[in-house]
Amino acid sequence: MANLLWLKGGACSGNTMSFLNAEEPSVIELVMDFGIRILYHPSIGLEIGEQVKEVLNDALNGITPVDIFVFEGSVIQGPNGSGKMNLYAGRPMKDWVKEIAEVAQYVVAVGDCAAWGGIVAVPPNPTESTGIQFHRRQKGGFLGAGFNSRSGLPVINIPGCPAHPDWMTQVLVALATGRMKELLLDDFHRPRTFFTDFVQTGCTNARSFAEKVSGGFGKRGNGCLFYEVGCRGPMTRASCNRILWNRVSSKTRANHPCLGCTEPAFPHHDLKKGSIFKTMKYLGVLPKEAPEGESKLLYYFKTGVQKALTPSRKDGGSK
Amino acid sequence: MALKELNISPVGRVEGDLDVKVYMENGVVTRAHTQAAMFRGFEQILAGKDPQAGLIVTPRACGICGGSHLYCASSALDVAWQTTLPPNALLLRSIGQASETLQSIPRWFYAIFATDMANKKFANKPLYQEVVKRFAAYVGTSFQKGVTASGRPVEIYALFGGQWPHSSYMVPGGVMCAPTLKDITRAHAILNHFRNDWLETVWLGCSIERYMEIQSWDDMMEWLEENESHRNSDLGLFLRAGIEFGLDKFGQGVGKFLAWGTYLHKDMYNKPTIEGRNPATISPSGFFDGKKYYDADQKMVAEHIKHSWFTDQEDGLHPFDQPIPTPALGATNLEHSDFNGKYSWAKAPRFMGFSAETGPLARVIMAANPANKEHQFRDPLFGDIMAKMGPSVFTRVLARMHEATRIYQKIDEWLRQIDLDGEFYIKPTERDGIGWGATEAARGALAHWIEIKNGVIENYQIIAPTTFNVGPNDKDGQPGPIESALEGTEIEDPHDPVEVGMVARSFDSCLVCTVHAHDNKTGKELAKFKL
Repeated sequence: MANLLWLKGGACSGNTMSFLNAEEPSVIELVMDFGIRILYHPSIGLEIGEQVKEVLNDALNGITPVDIFVFEGSVIQGPNGSGKMNLYAGRPMKDWVKEIAEVAQYVVAVGDCAAWGGIVAVPPNPTESTGIQFHRRQKGGFLGAGFNSRSGLPVINIPGCPAHPDWMTQVLVALATGRMKELLLDDFHRPRTFFTDFVQTGCTNARSFAEKVSGGFGKRGNGCLFYEVGCRGPMTRASCNRILWNRVSSKTRANHPCLGCTEPAFPHHDLKKGSIFKTMKYLGVLPKEAPEGESKLLYYFKTGVQKALTPSRKDGGSK
Repeated sequence: MALKELNISPVGRVEGDLDVKVYMENGVVTRAHTQAAMFRGFEQILAGKDPQAGLIVTPRACGICGGSHLYCASSALDVAWQTTLPPNALLLRSIGQASETLQSIPRWFYAIFATDMANKKFANKPLYQEVVKRFAAYVGTSFQKGVTASGRPVEIYALFGGQWPHSSYMVPGGVMCAPTLKDITRAHAILNHFRNDWLETVWLGCSIERYMEIQSWDDMMEWLEENESHRNSDLGLFLRAGIEFGLDKFGQGVGKFLAWGTYLHKDMYNKPTIEGRNPATISPSGFFDGKKYYDADQKMVAEHIKHSWFTDQEDGLHPFDQPIPTPALGATNLEHSDFNGKYSWAKAPRFMGFSAETGPLARVIMAANPANKEHQFRDPLFGDIMAKMGPSVFTRVLARMHEATRIYQKIDEWLRQIDLDGEFYIKPTERDGIGWGATEAARGALAHWIEIKNGVIENYQIIAPTTFNVGPNDKDGQPGPIESALEGTEIEDPHDPVEVGMVARSFDSCLVCTVHAHDNKTGKELAKFKL
């Protein structure tokens, strides 16, 4: 049995919607089979008004232990550090977050906004939003770099915009079944089991990447989206092509460039002109950003050689 | 005791943060003020960014209606960039929009709305035990089936968009994907699962075709009594329990309705323009003032900020004429709101000067317009239901659920119309200009207005369905639709004001509610309710 409390700050509810799509295990299985008791969730909780305040106050007073505190959405600190741009149950949400994080065994940030501020923290960041323990790539965020929850772990980040539902339910099961020691976290506090390989692992266009065969919108043939339309699959750590989305697909499988949404710099280049669905280039030819782990010079050299060696592939796409 | 003291904070099961201040007399709400309690500043974030930033940013305005935001964002760019859209692209966008809405129907009914019917308020009603058995959260037999089935339609969205929520697969000029035969047939198979797992077996108790023969309220009642399968379906139970529990007796609202309509016809919007849009919709647009239908001309929209926490703009401006919103800092104290002044983060949009309800009820009312064209929905049912019963919590829920069969049939039809030899995307030329894109999100009329200047976004304005429904008073003191719908609602147990929740949830408002009670005579907030 593990008590779970879920709250939302500067959120779109996308992670909740994603959570409800979970398959292995599903949300109903979490409750019925894995002994997770949802103390409150703003989208599916039954409590109303004063009853919600009772749940929150019982958690703060230790009457109901909070094993897992899940937070979705950014921590809104505006205007001027007051947090009044996001009031909840009569108080700034940021105050609830601080106090509940202190009594919870584990604090889990779901989605980019909770992990590092996400889209709402893009300059000019009108709401003074930040993540629970990171601000974009900088450790710190709302609770500070030194924060550890009662279990001794820092905030566990399950990023993504949204996070994949099974990443969420599987982490919750791992925590509820006592396997937290095996939940190794990387430098950005992401569970390594989901965030070690790149999105490219399992991508159906991977061969075209190696052969430098470029793809584009509305085209068949498994062309690679890295060269022209800004795909970040080779530079983004996530298991999107191994644990598929909605059981059936992934962005890159549907010819949609990876947006790099599990990395703290998402949205990359702060949405500036020319950065969206276009590969930013040096000298008009060479991709500005090289795949992770390769020196740029070596990468450009290999690119040139590979292009020369690969016979031009016909549009081999079959309907 | 004439006056009740009440502090519901929050109501929950509505998305986002909303406070509602309620003035009551003898347990009946006499006046209400809705207060949107969160600001995220999406329009400020978009200003100065890449013209296509809206394709990534606006779906994240609302994770429940992300596909709808994408539909608007891509359409607005189509208009601004003067793109050409291939029929396949229009079909695949409609399929995405419809899949998202179809997902929302069982998910909203079971996870958001029907759990309230299992509230102890109704414990003395004969059908209560059966309602609890099926609709109680997590353990209800239909709750489990319905929530599970709700994941199916968005698998279709994921086949073409890669994932749901938060794909950006609709782009100016078409769509990113170029589906193959296996994608189309797989989508048909998934659709079939949805029908077999829930729509016909659990919800209707009959075939889609039989249900769609219903043309009037009398037909509906006849259908209900036709056999045990109909009576005992979840729809049958909702009809019987909804009336027995009195859900048709409260939550009326303003009685004026707006729909932008959606599903642009594959052969009627290949050269996108603002003027050409409304005639091309399959789910028709319109404004209904309770008597007559009017064209839903986007020029007729204006937003008021007299009671909103924004500054530096006049009241009553059209979105194209509004500046990027400037938050009124320092005025955000919910505990001491001045209802003669600013009290909400939502603006107050008006259509032809009127406060208008948007949502499924507005859509089915537009579908009953006798002037609808051959390619548009033509369905007289809710014309009849509105004439006989008027708007209420019950009518609103029934309208939402009624859409399932028609949307199901349309997705099936559009999948068949995709031409695998045809184009999916025609690369546009980027240029400066203005654009408007609109759709029907599951919960109502959504539109985006964009202005592109010097190759970046100069202005971006979004009016969401919840802005229409949950917005505050306008400069003339006209209440918003939910403010109005709460008036006259009887609150039986102030500790468990489920009625207020049901009204807000019947609109599927995208907000979390907090209700404070006020003394009707003095307008002062009363001391907190003592448990």
